[in-house]
Amino acid sequence: MLPTAAPAPPPSGSRTAGNPPLIALVGPPNAGKTTLFNRLTGLRQKVANYPGVTVERKTGALRLPSGAQLEVVDLPGVNGFSARTMDERVTRDVLEGRAEGIRHPDAVILVVDATRLEPHLMLVEPVMETGVPMILVLNMWDELEARGGSVDTHVLGEELGIDVVPANARTGEGLDALDDFLEGVYERGPMPERPCPAVQNHPGGVPLPMADAFARRRRRVRGWTRGAAYVPAGPSAFSRRLDSVFLHPIAGPAVFLTVVVMVFEAMFAWAVPLMDGVEWGIATSGEWVAATLPDTWFRALLIDGVWAGVGSVLVFLPQILILFAFLGVLEDSGYLARAAVIADRMMYRVGLQGRAFLPLLSAYACAVPAILSARTIEDERDRLATIFVAPFMTCSARLPVYALLIAAFIPERPLLGPFLGTRAATLLGLYALGALAAIGTAFLLKRTLLRGQPSTFMMELPPYRVPSLRSLGLRLYDRTKVFLKRAGRIILVVAIVLWALAQVPRVDGAAPVIEDSVLGTVGQLIEPAIEPLGFDWRIGIGLVSSLAAREVIVGTLGTIYGVENADEGSLELQDALKRHLDLGSAVGLLVFFVFALQCMSTVAVARRETGGWKWPALQFGYMLTLAYVGAWVANALL
Amino acid sequence: MSPDILEVIDDGEPDLRLTEIALRDVVELVRIDLPDHEAEPLLERGFMPGCSLCPIRKSRSGDPIVMVDGTLIALRREMAGCLCVKQVGSQG
Repeated sequence: MLPTAAPAPPPSGSRTAGNPPLIALVGPPNAGKTTLFNRLTGLRQKVANYPGVTVERKTGALRLPSGAQLEVVDLPGVNGFSARTMDERVTRDVLEGRAEGIRHPDAVILVVDATRLEPHLMLVEPVMETGVPMILVLNMWDELEARGGSVDTHVLGEELGIDVVPANARTGEGLDALDDFLEGVYERGPMPERPCPAVQNHPGGVPLPMADAFARRRRRVRGWTRGAAYVPAGPSAFSRRLDSVFLHPIAGPAVFLTVVVMVFEAMFAWAVPLMDGVEWGIATSGEWVAATLPDTWFRALLIDGVWAGVGSVLVFLPQILILFAFLGVLEDSGYLARAAVIADRMMYRVGLQGRAFLPLLSAYACAVPAILSARTIEDERDRLATIFVAPFMTCSARLPVYALLIAAFIPERPLLGPFLGTRAATLLGLYALGALAAIGTAFLLKRTLLRGQPSTFMMELPPYRVPSLRSLGLRLYDRTKVFLKRAGRIILVVAIVLWALAQVPRVDGAAPVIEDSVLGTVGQLIEPAIEPLGFDWRIGIGLVSSLAAREVIVGTLGTIYGVENADEGSLELQDALKRHLDLGSAVGLLVFFVFALQCMSTVAVARRETGGWKWPALQFGYMLTLAYVGAWVANALL
Repeated sequence: MSPDILEVIDDGEPDLRLTEIALRDVVELVRIDLPDHEAEPLLERGFMPGCSLCPIRKSRSGDPIVMVDGTLIALRREMAGCLCVKQVGSQG
């Protein structure tokens, strides 16, 4: 074969410093932007945060048939450019070339839902005004056709002066038509730095009242669609039928409750065998490493520090994955928007809103993803209140602690025949206590620090769709990476530090007994402060170590009481606890764990999401105070 | 009286609110009684003067779900009460 038959080498003239041109995906929420992003980039994605703000930045590499490579960024979905939400601000700043840590895009793919063409076309003008070359993708074309709609894409393209591509991102149909545009972007190479006009809802020129500015833009949109013989999609009979059940005044809330119970059941029942499997894997690999390495301080660090620490996080992964799989299906199917609407009135009464439902539900697995998902709440005060109360929901890290203490101190007796025993009732009570604290705190916040006009709540209800497995898989893959990175790093550091503090000062070259170690000294130092709660220095060390992550206390108490391989089921550890705690202080300890914010990952995420230390510091102090008072009361009463 | 004012009066029932409209009745949005920054999210989602609105469902607490521009939007009753509408067809 002649060498000329090989794919053409990428042109070199226009290339600068090795950066491939950057394509930005812009579009309204639920228009299939992320599905298209997944189609274009597959597993070649990375997730990071924009510096300063914590809206996730998803970038990925796109390889064209010619072999040329481009970078794609999936910008947060927007309905407009009023920049009310963090999502809108990020999208606007990227389009204007002002976002930190990301280049000015060289081209834009505007993705809209063909079944909601007219409202979505309102985004065309503001994006066009930036001067960045763009192409318009009419996604969900198959659905438009199935529901009897149509539009002449050639005419629409001529009117807009850009290429218009009908496509179906779920199946990839029609996306080949993007190749010419993208090849063109590649040929041109990165655009030179240039000033960019501000992107906003209010078109430049004569200032008009807001409603008039929109009405004018809307008339232009209608002009385009008329010219292109647009026939809107008929109503979706499928969606209407489902809504008549899911949004029914009585059946709707019943379905809602069933879904919530099912998510819980999945998290706590289905996840157990998987979690046991992960635990087994960690223990087995730890034993293998222990057997392979010589008995040195390094082996001890690796096994007692790294393996134990990272293992304590990894074990929650199945639960979090199951939660996200559920949430993914609920969100992609369109049900989650309905659930938020059903929950809104109830949440509004306590000072929150419907969009807080998803974060608070997630918080039963882990507060970290919960706080991250609070981003979808447009109202800043509602978002702060949601972030503030999320750690009160009983996250799965509290479960090992609850399990240990309940097993040790609460005798099992039937309460409601075979249905409910004292132990299960105690567990339910602890869940209820956390939820009540969250409700009371939200109520209080909205009447003090976060007082203001009642927030507005508005929710678009997209048509129901069958979720795509591919998108779901990518989402889980993505979440796993983010969770392990965020949580794992902190736990790893803390586990190593705790281990090291228990190793010094050395006695005859060996680790001291825990009482004499630096860690033990810390426990004794805080003992006077926790004595009124009925806790001694041992629990003190447990509390200090659990500041990193709640479940760490189980392993720490195991170390202190000299119980090998302690977990929440260890009878030996339960006996040791019974010797050092009475019922009052044990319940006090449980109450302490319900309220206290012992989780560095949560504090770190809250700091990033609220843009400073003020809120997490307040949150930490408030929850600690509540925990202290609660534990004192429990200890005094029992 | 200037013709402008007469026109407003002729419009009839300028104070009819979206909350008062029966399900499935199609009405036209006349005005949004909210400051610009609160009206903007409504405008972005297609609630602009002159558009047709149709309440499709109501929750038990009276929060409507409205069809606008072929899209379903759920509102709180407080916000729906800020949307001034007029009947179309019934008054010519």
